[in-house]
Amino acid sequence: MRLVRSEFLKIRTTNVWWLFALGAVGLLVVAFAANALNMHFVLQPPTEAGQTMDPEQAAVLKALADPVALTSYMVTSGQYFGLMFVMLLGIITVTNEFHHQTATTTFLATPHRTSVIVAKAVAGGIFGIVLWLVTTALTVPATAIFLESEGITPVLGDSEVIRAVLLNGLAYALWALIGIGIGVLIRSQIGATITAMVVYTVGTAAVSIIVNLLVTALDWDWLANVQWAMPSLASNLMTSGANLPGQPAYWVGALVLVGWAVVTGLVGTLLTRSRDIS
Amino acid sequence: MLPRLRARAVSPAREAVIGPGEDPAVVLAAEGAPQHSHRRRVEPEPVAGHDSQWWNRDGIAMAVLAPAKHTVRMGNVITDGEIVVSGLTKHYKQVKAVDGLSFTIKPGRVTGFLGPNGAGKTTTLRMILNLVSPNAGTATIGGSRYADLAEPLRAVGAVLEASSAHKGRTGRNHLRVICAAAGLPASRADEAMELVGLTPAAKRKFKGYSLGMRQRLGIAAAMLGDPRVLILDEPANGLDPEGIRWMRDLLQKLAGEGRTILVSSHLLSEMELLADDVVIIAAGRLVAQGPVAEVMGNAGNVGTVRVRTPHPDTLLGALDGVGSSRGDDGALVLTGVTAEQVGDAALRAGVAIHELVTERPDLERVFLDLTAGKEAIR
Repeated sequence: MRLVRSEFLKIRTTNVWWLFALGAVGLLVVAFAANALNMHFVLQPPTEAGQTMDPEQAAVLKALADPVALTSYMVTSGQYFGLMFVMLLGIITVTNEFHHQTATTTFLATPHRTSVIVAKAVAGGIFGIVLWLVTTALTVPATAIFLESEGITPVLGDSEVIRAVLLNGLAYALWALIGIGIGVLIRSQIGATITAMVVYTVGTAAVSIIVNLLVTALDWDWLANVQWAMPSLASNLMTSGANLPGQPAYWVGALVLVGWAVVTGLVGTLLTRSRDIS
Repeated sequence: MLPRLRARAVSPAREAVIGPGEDPAVVLAAEGAPQHSHRRRVEPEPVAGHDSQWWNRDGIAMAVLAPAKHTVRMGNVITDGEIVVSGLTKHYKQVKAVDGLSFTIKPGRVTGFLGPNGAGKTTTLRMILNLVSPNAGTATIGGSRYADLAEPLRAVGAVLEASSAHKGRTGRNHLRVICAAAGLPASRADEAMELVGLTPAAKRKFKGYSLGMRQRLGIAAAMLGDPRVLILDEPANGLDPEGIRWMRDLLQKLAGEGRTILVSSHLLSEMELLADDVVIIAAGRLVAQGPVAEVMGNAGNVGTVRVRTPHPDTLLGALDGVGSSRGDDGALVLTGVTAEQVGDAALRAGVAIHELVTERPDLERVFLDLTAGKEAIR
């Protein structure tokens, strides 16, 4: 417990946490506006677009227009960047120790290194959950206002929406652990943050595109499911609320994400335990 | 019921109990194997209620480190802070950084840990502190491995590198983070800042600290848990002459309170002033260990007398059985004689003397002799 307090103090006594929180909230506003615009066209498709749409796409749009899916989608706005910042914070809690050579001090105070990693995971998870609370507190009223203005009654009390919101919180917590694992693997602060950001943004898009191209080229439909192994897409899947056509169920996303967090956390812990600190 | 943090050796152990050269353990240890059975140790006496007794001799420390009100729960209580290194070995790829190193560090004394660059000093200290895992051998502090200490910071304080704090964090917050991890009250951070004279800079960020201030912050961090054992790696680096003197006084006082002080350094003249004992290593192996005077004596360097006179032959005639040689500048270098004897002889012989100096071998000379031939870069 005192280790968690120490790790939390480490986060709190530098500027990083509020810069990240500010960044996450700022990008939340942008993401919410973009999602709102997107949904506006889903709800009122321009007539000419409606004619050219293939039936599969129309089915997806129809499912999205369902109030439950719509509410989940809007309420979990900002997840994409929020998760990225939580991951970056997780990375930084580890790489800071090497960048500023404080690992020595940390492991002198606590020779049991596993406890240090656990404390970092808990502190990072708490940061993630606080960020989730803040973003949710902003998106809930904003979603209500937006949906009302579109003439749809928001279903914020729906069990699937609540599930999506809670799983979103889980995602925020787990991404800290993923970040910690990455930070242990790549000790260089700049190296770890840039690698993680590139994989998170470009990598996610690239996997999506490559998988879709392969599916079209080879006509292997099962291949489309490979993309859900990407932790960022899995997080999105987990919080999509209603099942959309052509997507696995939400719990597949949850399992994938938990799997990633466990693997990165374990690898990170084992590496930290055996590594010489000099 | 475990002893309180304060409960420790009261006697000023340095001269009174184990004077240099008369402690059998030190002598035996110098010959190689650590001998526990013959050791005369300073027994810690519980002095509950006498919190400030041993601090009163220490002007600086008394004011600030006075009674820490917390009681200590320790799984492994350090009753005496002896550091025992036994057969410690560490390979890095092809290089044997430390090679079967064994030595013993006694409580109540300042021990200098000397060796040329790359001799394995830092690696050894890091192995003692469980930061680097040895390929073979063990290191214990008060009988326990560092990793087995339940409250390591209350047993051992370490200052390893000058720049070990987050640049954007204030010095005070840096200490508070450590306090939180070690379960120490946050007020200890302010007390330790006071001890090292950093209070005016407490709320300044670490990146604004000078090298000397960083070194002081490191010492403050090491003192947070009021440890019985202090391990310092090149603590004089970056300190100005005043800072070096301050640290020398502080470490000697802390050793006088019965603490174990192990200081690595390459500043030999500084070590000669500071250390009671020395451990000299080269190429990862032990070269010499023991009280400073003894190590210097064993190295075959005895004092010489340097004398300059216009009539050296007359003077030599007045001195019987004295070894002599000519120095570079024509002065006589005499062995087996004291300066007083030379002066008296000169008066009897009616010879004028222009210079008369007793020259003691210094640690540097001894160190260079002992480590000669050991390649520094491997």
